[in-house]
Amino acid sequence: MAEVTTRGVRFHVQTMPASSGDSGAPIVVFVHGLVMDNLSSFYYTLAGPVAAAGAESVLYDLRGHGRSQRPPSGYGAADAVADLFGILDALGHHRPVFLVSNSFGGVVALNAALARPSRIAGLVLIESYGPAERTGEWTEDMLNTLSKSALILEYERLADQLSAIGWRQPARQAVTCDALINGTTLLDDLAAVEPIRPADLADVTCPVLAVYGEHSDVLDAGRLLARHVPGCTLYVLAGHAHTVLREGTGELLDVLLGWLSEHAGINAPMKAGV
Amino acid sequence: MDMGAVVDNDVLDEVVRMLVDVIGEDFLLDVEVGRGTTFNEDLAMESIEFVALAERLQQVYQGRVDFAAFVAGLDLDEIMTMRVGDLVAHIESRLTASAA
Repeated sequence: MAEVTTRGVRFHVQTMPASSGDSGAPIVVFVHGLVMDNLSSFYYTLAGPVAAAGAESVLYDLRGHGRSQRPPSGYGAADAVADLFGILDALGHHRPVFLVSNSFGGVVALNAALARPSRIAGLVLIESYGPAERTGEWTEDMLNTLSKSALILEYERLADQLSAIGWRQPARQAVTCDALINGTTLLDDLAAVEPIRPADLADVTCPVLAVYGEHSDVLDAGRLLARHVPGCTLYVLAGHAHTVLREGTGELLDVLLGWLSEHAGINAPMKAGV
Repeated sequence: MDMGAVVDNDVLDEVVRMLVDVIGEDFLLDVEVGRGTTFNEDLAMESIEFVALAERLQQVYQGRVDFAAFVAGLDLDEIMTMRVGDLVAHIESRLTASAA
């Protein structure tokens, strides 16, 4: 079934078995971004090809997101890391896993690698937040955007307005965002998340692939990773901004599969016919 | 199992039951779901709900309809602009093929 309950929260989980059918296949866990995001952004892009190349893909919705339960609290980095390992334990995955993160998912992935290095085989950080020189630096823009959204959702009754003009899908998404932003401790918890500073980055022992867009406002995080994580490869996608996963999927996939074939032993990708 | 009965009339009903399960009965109250209903426009379905629908389809039609292959051949925009009838027709054609 696609549900795992751990730490008192019900999580929506999807797995795609390795095409090889090998029970010892490498495990790749996908960690998505905030609020509007959920596991579907990986489900339709990277997870299928990764499974086809010989790894088991594991996708889950962070608490409060997608089809996972939305408890009133517990949205900080430490809880997110504990949730991740709780889900892996429930699935019986005790071997080291590869984490592939997008945007805020990077905060979870990096903290997981620092908290329990023996359980992480490698990190692929796509447009990921987390590394910064000082407190507040990395969360400022994101929190401003979310706080503005919170006000619009609450005081302008955005969901009702969208619904009234027949925009049913955005209306539904607005309802979900409103519940998460205004109905939980998410914003406060995020504001309290500490960045991962250069000295901590130096302690990341696993291999890391960082992929960022050339015009991304998060690119500085990628540069910090490249400078301070001993085993980090930085790949910058020309012409792209923060939406690398959605808009640069093909190139990203080539880079990801190439890196995984080197570090996880999956099959090297066939580029022809793509 | 009588494959003929499934092919003849039950696939649409089964898909509608799954949609109610995935999207929720409240939201579907004012929508009459038929073969012409679009996932995107009419049902306002979100991509995460299509993941949940695909999982239910996989469970019910396991071994007879390969949804992973079906979905892999489409991108998300194509999936979301499909009509319920496109999905039902795909299932029916595969069930017919596997029963033959």
